Amino acid sequence: MTFFDEQLKKGSFQICHCNNCDQNLWPPKEICHICNEETEWSESMNVGKIIEFSKKDSSYFGIIELKEKIRVMGEIFSNDEPKIGQSVTMKAFFDTRPHYSFTVKNN
Amino acid sequence: MNDVAIIGTGQTKFSKEEVSVEKSLFESSNKCIQSISNCSSKDIDGVLVSTNNNSKYMGAILSEVLDIQPRITHSIEHLCSSGTNAIISAYSYISSGLVDVVLVSGVDSATNPGQILEWDSSRGNFEHPIYWASMLTKAHKRKFQTSEEELAIISAKNHKHAIDNPHAYSNEPKTITEIMNSKQITDDLRIMDCSRSCSGSSSVLLASEKSAKEFSDNPIWISGIGQKTTSASFTKNDLGEIKSTHVAADSAYKMANILPNDIDVAEVHDAFSVCELMAISELGITSGEKSGEFVRNLFNTEDRMINPRGGLIGAGHPLGATGISQTIEITNQLQGKSEKRQINNAKIGLIHNMSAAGTSSSVMVMKN
Repeated sequence: MTFFDEQLKKGSFQICHCNNCDQNLWPPKEICHICNEETEWSESMNVGKIIEFSKKDSSYFGIIELKEKIRVMGEIFSNDEPKIGQSVTMKAFFDTRPHYSFTVKNN
Repeated sequence: MNDVAIIGTGQTKFSKEEVSVEKSLFESSNKCIQSISNCSSKDIDGVLVSTNNNSKYMGAILSEVLDIQPRITHSIEHLCSSGTNAIISAYSYISSGLVDVVLVSGVDSATNPGQILEWDSSRGNFEHPIYWASMLTKAHKRKFQTSEEELAIISAKNHKHAIDNPHAYSNEPKTITEIMNSKQITDDLRIMDCSRSCSGSSSVLLASEKSAKEFSDNPIWISGIGQKTTSASFTKNDLGEIKSTHVAADSAYKMANILPNDIDVAEVHDAFSVCELMAISELGITSGEKSGEFVRNLFNTEDRMINPRGGLIGAGHPLGATGISQTIEITNQLQGKSEKRQINNAKIGLIHNMSAAGTSSSVMVMKN
């Protein structure tokens, strides 16, 4: 299991960052593919905005861009129909694979 | 560089039944070799197998069963576009002079493991293709005001074309109303918007110019190739476009020295209805704004220019075989052998095959 997955299992979405290149890297990796330096890890701010969404049964899902410029898909909790660009907070965990869920702010 | 042509073809009927990949593979390969009267196993010096199946050493196994001792053999996996990428590899081997005649056989079974890319952790637990298809459809509706009816017409058209394809999974017509009332999978996707994974195998025989002229009176030449991969993760890409298709098409057109409006017939990768609209605009056949109207016009005038064999929606989608079946259709069209599906006087054909939400696309141009 990778460091990213291990941390996700504890509920922490880790942002992989190369200090040397000063950029966030996705997919997460131990070594920067540009400069070969070891990468650094820090917990995500767990906030982002809605890029696109749809609905299956009674649940919304969609693509969210995190503040750290990484995009992931997950369930969206919203009382009303979500809007593009709307701010969300994220919860993440891992069982057999990653799960991300998002709650619309001021829901 | 040697010119390269398709000289032989063979395929099984696509079906929802779980069929052993070995059985399907041998059936389509045998039919392919037998399609050329003066060609036998001893004339083949390359064997490539395209599959997402986890079976091992399939190139060597197929070679032994067919009594071939090839100079080059191996398997190729690239999810849904494994088939065209195997053909592109065979082209390169022949073009470089490493081999002369290559059998390319693609196969998958209905439950093949290539439908979901486990690696892509950006998809979270929304790993099934219906979720990326819903995102692309919603974005297309948002950008071009695409209607439910325009999406349904794609499926109606491709089901209609498949009726005249004896190898297709579906041989039943579906009306626009039936499609619009079919089971809702998500708010933006109905069951009849989706191609179906199924069992099936397709094979082609490629040859150098010298051998093509020796074995065939009607070789079909591969005149343009482009492949582009923008990522493996779905979420990185702009939902409003399939850039990989656009770039791959540009490369293929440049190599073939043609423009999009030179294309007489095209097989495009309609994994879901919206993919056909996006493909024809990225290929430059029409614009994004007019793509719905373009397909509506094809449907109303019974013009089979796009997906004459029924596309993936009508013919089925056995991943490793799909790109090869698309190539067989264009070969038959350019040979004038497509019977009820025939486009009059087709001279230039195109194949568009893509993988994992359009993160990778392959485009081939063929001429007779």
